[in-house]
Amino acid sequence: MKNLQHKYYEYYNSNKGFFPGIDINWLNDLREKAIDQFQKDGFPDKSVEEWNNFPYKDLTNNYFEPLSDNQAEIDLNLIEEKDPNCTIRLIFFNGQIVNIEYNQLPKGVEVNSLTYFLKNNPNFLKDKISSANKYAEERLSNIIDSRPQSIVAVNTAFHKEGAVIHIKKNVKMPGYIELMHIGEYNKNTMQHMRSVVYLEEGADCEILENIVHDNVSDLVFTSNVTDVHVSDDASLSLHRFIRGSTNQIHINNIHGSLHENSNFLSTSIINSLGQVRAENRVNLLGENSSSTIDILILGSQNAVIEGLTRVEHSKKNTKSDQKARIVLGENSKASFQGKIRVNQNSDGTLANMSSKSLLLSDKARVNSKPELEILADDVRCSHGVTVGNLSEEQLFYLRSRGISEVEAKKILVNSFGNIILDKLSDNLIERAKKIMLGYYNE
Amino acid sequence: MGTALQIKNLHVEVNNKLILKGLSLNIEHGEMAAIMGPNGSGKSTLASVLAGKEGYNVTKGYIKYLGNDLLKMPPEDRAAAGVFLAFQYPVEIPGVATSTFVRTSLNAQKRNRGEAELDAMQFLKLAREKAKQLEMSEDFFQRAVNVGFSGGEKKRAEVFQMSMLEPTLAILDETDSGLDIDALKIVAEGVNRLRDDKLSGIVITHYQRLLDYLQPDTIHILAEGKIVKTGDKSLALLLEEKGYQGIDGAN
Repeated sequence: MKNLQHKYYEYYNSNKGFFPGIDINWLNDLREKAIDQFQKDGFPDKSVEEWNNFPYKDLTNNYFEPLSDNQAEIDLNLIEEKDPNCTIRLIFFNGQIVNIEYNQLPKGVEVNSLTYFLKNNPNFLKDKISSANKYAEERLSNIIDSRPQSIVAVNTAFHKEGAVIHIKKNVKMPGYIELMHIGEYNKNTMQHMRSVVYLEEGADCEILENIVHDNVSDLVFTSNVTDVHVSDDASLSLHRFIRGSTNQIHINNIHGSLHENSNFLSTSIINSLGQVRAENRVNLLGENSSSTIDILILGSQNAVIEGLTRVEHSKKNTKSDQKARIVLGENSKASFQGKIRVNQNSDGTLANMSSKSLLLSDKARVNSKPELEILADDVRCSHGVTVGNLSEEQLFYLRSRGISEVEAKKILVNSFGNIILDKLSDNLIERAKKIMLGYYNE
Repeated sequence: MGTALQIKNLHVEVNNKLILKGLSLNIEHGEMAAIMGPNGSGKSTLASVLAGKEGYNVTKGYIKYLGNDLLKMPPEDRAAAGVFLAFQYPVEIPGVATSTFVRTSLNAQKRNRGEAELDAMQFLKLAREKAKQLEMSEDFFQRAVNVGFSGGEKKRAEVFQMSMLEPTLAILDETDSGLDIDALKIVAEGVNRLRDDKLSGIVITHYQRLLDYLQPDTIHILAEGKIVKTGDKSLALLLEEKGYQGIDGAN
């Protein structure tokens, strides 16, 4: 593995001129620091607690080409039409922006690709793309452990594209923005997307990051890291639908900073056949800010899907809610690691976490780990974990009313996920339900 | 008239323990039969076996309903054939709205029988009518099945389902338990409204009170896994007076 680390390091140093923004000093520094950090830490192994549920063998045993000549053109007619509720859609194909669709760009809304912003308004992005360590964990011993964030370091060093969304003061964005990612990558390549979402005071916006299942099942490694800034009194919903095929490794991080009276809602629905890890690291930096993070994992075949949330309460009267619902069939595996950290003086904190898993096969495996670190006194926190099978009582009740066994199971699996879907906006609920139905019909 | 349900020499084991030990019972079309008996005599086992719950091992005997071998049919086919069990403990199903559940059930039965399904509007019209008869407010349509329902609401919801599904064999498993006198009356009236010469019923109860409202045609005493005595409503009165100790063979 040391060899691989070195190979990536060498690659970066001989090819850094090919990454966008080489002429922008702060970005260049960011990349340099990130590759140095990765050279030191490497990919996280089992000694890193947050990474020890399931091994990432395909990631650590293979070399992935950072700049490959992936096909960059796609027939846009083959892509499903933009959802009528969606106001703006950005389509990325193999990591490159291929289309931006909208009827009329709402006033006070700026949306474009990362490379567009780097070319036209690089100063806007300064300090908005964070270093890999910004959301790294400060242990109780005050030591910062950078190792869990080394994928973010790889992303920071090697990213080539992404989306930038900027919503100006008091602008309420109608409908939602979709960031659609389609991939048909060459074998053993990697692709890193870096996005920035910035809401000014009082702004309101809903975004869907839609990672589409593709038909190629070559081994590829992709990562998406999104830096989120929600200013005072602003409200952001940032959702993820993540699908993928058998050999795809996808790691997705949302890093959020929330200021006074701001709200953040993130719902992730993950239904990949490959190995997926979806993280949410959110810092409640302003009083009365609140964060709701929901994750629905739908596992089948040999999928390995991990959800990690980490919410840090750093000011008074902040609220957070984390909810994971995990349904696993066949040989699939999943984990949920949820952490609530309440810093000193963050009195009046209200934080809840729950994780429930439904195992549909004997071979499915789930690890669920809630963690609380509370350093303040006046705090209300709760957490709960359950793991179970379909209830025989419920199945019989449904069947006794005339519903077939297959249909009854489908109803129960759906109802298990509904608690997550029901919180989605009207804009997205039907799309989410389709994924849920598709899962059970697979 | 004619026999609707025929149970012959039924032996049933639960967890390797013999609970029903040669139960025989015939019920005519349109007959309402009450089954009474001490705790542990096998009343709820009979209800579960009729509805097709798993874990009940029939070692001997048979059950014929409208000429079909009921024991060979999965629960959903029994429902489509007209069997309805009002549960003693209705099951909560979070995340499924009551109206969705009932509509799915009704249409599944109709599909099973080769009948036309109800669309959303037809269903709603029917459901409103039935809910009104049971003095239930419509907001319960959107509430998750039995979740957060009071004991009385749960039983009323069972009778609502029954009135929507229009069974030909209704098994009421202690539907009166946990009901106050007003709720009992509404539930009993709801059942009576469904009675006609096509509906046969089995009413499992401990109390005379429900029978006062339902006026069953026959009363059967179940003890030690068998019907030990059959009679008319005077048998229930005798029971009320003397207890099971006073009935031959029931102690």
